[in-house]
Amino acid sequence: MKRETIVALASLCLVIAACQPKTKQYSLRGQVLAKNEAADELTVKHEDIPGFMPAMTMPYKVKDPGAVQDVQPGDLITADLITANQGQDYWLEAIHIIDQRGRKTAKPAARRVLKVGEKVPDLQLVNQDGKPFHFSDFKGKAVLVTFIYTRCPMPAFCPRLSSQFAKIHEALAKTPDDYNRTHLLTISFDPKYDTAPVLRRYGLAYLDNHPEGFAHWDFASTNPLDMRKIADAFGLEYFEEDNQISHSMDIVLVAPDGAVAKYWSTIWTAAELEEALRREAKLGQGRKG
Amino acid sequence: MIARAAIASALWILMAGCTARQEHGQELFDLHCADCHEEANPDLKKQPPSLKGLFRAKKLPSGAPATDEQVRKTIIQGIGTMPAFDQRLSQNDVTDLIEYLHALK
Repeated sequence: MKRETIVALASLCLVIAACQPKTKQYSLRGQVLAKNEAADELTVKHEDIPGFMPAMTMPYKVKDPGAVQDVQPGDLITADLITANQGQDYWLEAIHIIDQRGRKTAKPAARRVLKVGEKVPDLQLVNQDGKPFHFSDFKGKAVLVTFIYTRCPMPAFCPRLSSQFAKIHEALAKTPDDYNRTHLLTISFDPKYDTAPVLRRYGLAYLDNHPEGFAHWDFASTNPLDMRKIADAFGLEYFEEDNQISHSMDIVLVAPDGAVAKYWSTIWTAAELEEALRREAKLGQGRKG
Repeated sequence: MIARAAIASALWILMAGCTARQEHGQELFDLHCADCHEEANPDLKKQPPSLKGLFRAKKLPSGAPATDEQVRKTIIQGIGTMPAFDQRLSQNDVTDLIEYLHALK
């Protein structure tokens, strides 16, 4: 091999190595509670992960899709938890089933997640001012919906969602046309704790104490039964355990005609969401015209 | 002599007790607080303040007086974008956490 070729290859290796995202690896051990093969996701009730998070139940993406098929709810597993992008992206690799005796044979009740293009059920919610409203009230606007609970202490989950929604809200406020034909909706799946006053206080913290922002960004909740219906419709997973809530991350773009336009789970940026929201609002305007 | 030994052992027990509480406080801090207060989180609207030397200043970052009661209230109820730790941490947990925060420099 020529010397130039070797030098070129070595340089390429260096460039590739430099471009690799910084990842960290942790050991995870826990029990699988649910799996979602379509999303390559396992919900695991795991032990403490020193240096990353306390024991809790959470959904995780799995890098190797084959592994999701092999694992069944009830299995005890060990896996490598890989994190990147300062803990915002994370997934499981090298899954080993260490005990199958708890394996459940009964299939959980199937639920029907709305597909892109399907209309959102017109359920009632109550906002931060205690005012009831329906999804249909936003007809004609593109709506970005997400789900949180105000006590969520994981910076990569609800605080990130609300912080990034705040960024989108601020960016949209600079262009009145798009501001008027879009809406943000943050729904709490913890109605017991997240009453209207709690949601108002939470919302104000993300609106820099400007209550007029609520006209464009609602913080809402509903009764536990309807919340479960909304979660099932949008593919959100959450369950309560020891007064805390484990949940998946779910962002839904609803088109001005009230149909689902797009979903995001853990991988997204505020810029991407903002662009999709603006585009959907413009498309709706075009259809109306 | 006996009295002195008794005082010394009482002091030792007291000090050992404090250390155990602070150790537990540190465990809680590492699990529940460090992620936000010790790490840079560019995706958060506001970077939470460092809690080192929290009780050395007269006032907390919020402007409230730096007292145990005020810190307990902040942990339980949350403040601004900081979530409430109500029902996640027990009153004893919060006491241990405050003990540790006093020692955090």
